[in-house]
Amino acid sequence: MDGEVNADELRGWLAECYPQSVRTAYLLLGNRPDAEDAVQEAFLRAWRFRNSLARESSIKPWLYRVVVNTCNSKLRQEIPRWRRQDGDESLDGVATRDDAAGRVDAAGDILDALNDLPAHLRVVVVLRYYADLSEREIAVAIARQPGTVKSRLHEARRRLAQHPALRRDDDQGREEVAQ
Amino acid sequence: MTMMDEEVLARALRDAASGFEISPIAQDDIVAAAAAPSEPSVLPTVFRPLRRHRAPLLGAAAVIVVVSIALPLWRGEHPARVPSASNGSVQDGQKIFQNGQGPTFTPAHGTTTGSELTLPATGLSVRNSAAISGRRIESTGSVSLVVGKGRVASGFAALGRLATKLGGSVVSSSAVVGTRTSGRFSRGTIVLEVPQAAFATLVERVQTLGHATSVQTSSTDVTSQYVDLRAQITALEASRHQYLAIMTRATTISDILRVQSQLNGLQSQIEQLQGQLNVLGHQTAFATLAVAVSETRPPAPIPTRTGFARAWHDAVAGFVAGVQWIVRLAGPVLFAALLLALLWLAGRVLWRATERRRL
Repeated sequence: MDGEVNADELRGWLAECYPQSVRTAYLLLGNRPDAEDAVQEAFLRAWRFRNSLARESSIKPWLYRVVVNTCNSKLRQEIPRWRRQDGDESLDGVATRDDAAGRVDAAGDILDALNDLPAHLRVVVVLRYYADLSEREIAVAIARQPGTVKSRLHEARRRLAQHPALRRDDDQGREEVAQ
Repeated sequence: MTMMDEEVLARALRDAASGFEISPIAQDDIVAAAAAPSEPSVLPTVFRPLRRHRAPLLGAAAVIVVVSIALPLWRGEHPARVPSASNGSVQDGQKIFQNGQGPTFTPAHGTTTGSELTLPATGLSVRNSAAISGRRIESTGSVSLVVGKGRVASGFAALGRLATKLGGSVVSSSAVVGTRTSGRFSRGTIVLEVPQAAFATLVERVQTLGHATSVQTSSTDVTSQYVDLRAQITALEASRHQYLAIMTRATTISDILRVQSQLNGLQSQIEQLQGQLNVLGHQTAFATLAVAVSETRPPAPIPTRTGFARAWHDAVAGFVAGVQWIVRLAGPVLFAALLLALLWLAGRVLWRATERRRL
């Protein structure tokens, strides 16, 4: 009985956070298989240590923290550099979903630009602009001060703006947003 | 400075991340893996109270650290004087070891029983080696004693009585008595002689007769000199016996005179060496202690101040005392604060590392 309750709780976690966690991990790691592995590992680890989460705390930033730490661990130890930069497999997946050639190019460009960012900047960009976490939540997720998050976001946006692959996309995007 | 537009960036990330379907099988795999039996997570449950009360616990630890550091430092500025030393000298609380050849000095407040000396601070017990092994130890010492005004003479008398009580005597004494007209202070030196075994007791008791400002003792092992003298005397006596035998066989006056001359020379040498042996024996049997006695000098007269001058003087003295107090306190407080900062930094790093390892 208790096991069923726990399983329901875990399914609630998965329903609420799994899709976005996988996509976040995908943006951080650059490919889908590693992202799914990392998220699975992160959820199991978080589930095992769920008692250490204070009752009043929000689960989402905490889960993201586990996911980010697992991704960082994979980036540091498990995924070779050459494989991280090989985005062809991932881009094929993107192409099958959206036929618009411009979207494919934009997705490839942002992944290239993200790959060129240092990991600590990539994490804050993904959590802020994809996972839509606040600066305070990101601070919890990466175990840093909110001020650090803010300065990293600033630095990341500056670097992305200077990335050659994104200059053209940014101009086009501005026009679309304006329309 | 050019910055990437936030909305464009968010849309590009959404587009890049939403290019594939989320597999429900992977979620089922997670549920199945979580349902599988695994080791219970005891560690987080155990440390959960610590985690929740981290701030008070850290605060309590910090207070304990600060108190445990600051208190000894504060006490270290006012050390208790221990006017004691073993086989050495004491000058205003500083211990100076001079000669390690014999346990002939006892600390103040020490106890002596026969030839055994017990140091109260350490419980160390030292036996008089001369009494145990027949070694010849020559012991001397000096004590500077300050007594109350007008008590130099009575101090001399007390020292003499003390020496007599311990089986010794006064070897010599000299004193200068000051008068109001001369403006000089009374002082003097008395040399005491006591049996070797009572030397430690003498040094100890002398210090109780006044304020000892300096205590020095030294011991010298003269066993080899003693044995050498005895051997020379034995050899010379053997020669004298031979000459006496020759004397009985001498028939002419000239032979008798020559043998007599040799015997006189030998007798003279024997008596000379015997004299040296007696002196050495006396020096090793009795120890000497020179005690310099002087009376307390009156404090310098303090100029009497009244009115504004007195108030100003008190204000300056109070200011200086306050500054001294702050400077004295600043050292331990700064040290404790520095240590606390280091501990806090180390704790923070450790905590983060632990958190990352756990997740």
